[in-house]
Amino acid sequence: MEAILTDYALPCVCAFWACVGFTLMYNIHGLGKLIAGVGGALGWLVYLLGGRTIFAAFLAAAAIGVFAEVMSRVRRCPVTGYLLVALLPLVPGGGIYYAMRHCVAGETDQFLSTLLHTLGMAAALAVGAMLASSVFRAIFPRLRPPKK
Amino acid sequence: MDYEQLLNMAAELGYQLMYSGAEIYRVEESARRLLQAYGLESPEVFAIPNCLIVSVATPEGQPVTRMRRVPSHGTDIELLERCNGLCRRLCAEVPPLDEAQAAVAALPEAIPRHSPRLMLLGYGAAPAFFAPLFGGGLWDMACAFLCGLAVGLCLLYGGKFLGANNFFRTAVCSALAALLAIVLVKAGPGESVDVVTISALMVLVPGVALTNAMREIMAGDTYSALSRTADAILVASAIALGAAAGQALGGLF
Repeated sequence: MEAILTDYALPCVCAFWACVGFTLMYNIHGLGKLIAGVGGALGWLVYLLGGRTIFAAFLAAAAIGVFAEVMSRVRRCPVTGYLLVALLPLVPGGGIYYAMRHCVAGETDQFLSTLLHTLGMAAALAVGAMLASSVFRAIFPRLRPPKK
Repeated sequence: MDYEQLLNMAAELGYQLMYSGAEIYRVEESARRLLQAYGLESPEVFAIPNCLIVSVATPEGQPVTRMRRVPSHGTDIELLERCNGLCRRLCAEVPPLDEAQAAVAALPEAIPRHSPRLMLLGYGAAPAFFAPLFGGGLWDMACAFLCGLAVGLCLLYGGKFLGANNFFRTAVCSALAALLAIVLVKAGPGESVDVVTISALMVLVPGVALTNAMREIMAGDTYSALSRTADAILVASAIALGAAAGQALGGLF
């Protein structure tokens, strides 16, 4: 029970508040803050459950994509804001940092493998969210809000 | 009907949308639908990340064109949502042109913004809550909060010294965060340089550019997607470059 709390619940709460912090920078108000935070927590939960691999990032991005699409239908708002903020915790900042460390230390092999892993994470995020949004739109075209 | 006024209004709405960080397809579609709602048959709208061209032909066959250059801008979701809402309302109601133009012109001033202090709190809070995600303890959280505040101060108030160059600005902020992280860990209570630095760098990471690039690909705007991907890669290298410089400086102590 305690393992669930420290391994999953606590990180998700942190991801939630980190995303709320980002909403202050991107000028999101009201209910949007809550939605973006919940999206970030959901994404991080999926990422943890998937075992912190590239494929887990792909699944997490897909979950966030579907969540953001549903919320934009519910609130009749552009999907951009929620997607943008909720994906931020998954962006491989650590990868950029460690790749730089290896590069400066002259460890070419580790630098290349870290760099490739970072690029893989970024690609997984992009493809995951893109695929989820496209599939969602293909399955539920009638839920689409009336065109502007 | 005054087609020049109509054109100006559509261009202004498109400009505001671009300025809020909207996707290219949203800008193009919004401006086109607005012009169509006012009875033009085939308005042409073309946008790339920093340029917007709107062109219409009046019923007499007279072509009229307006181009707007969009300066470098951040992301403002509230402005984006309001522009979107206003565009939908204008297309549905089609009010007289003067009234519509006044509504579009009033948009930027009416946007509620967070006070700089609150934004600074955001810059501090985001890294603080990232620290546990990367395996940091309570002290790392506190250090990450301070580093985030420094980056926020630099971004919010240092614009005059840093200029408008995104690459340079990111590199300086990243160097500052890395240097401060080393100082806080060596002389202060921090436990891990890596965790504190990564947490602070998360505020600079090109997540927005990456997400936008992906959405442009999805909409089929390959040119804009490439330009935004290049932006993301440039910002990422600026972060790496800055952090390397900061750590080299920190190593001197």
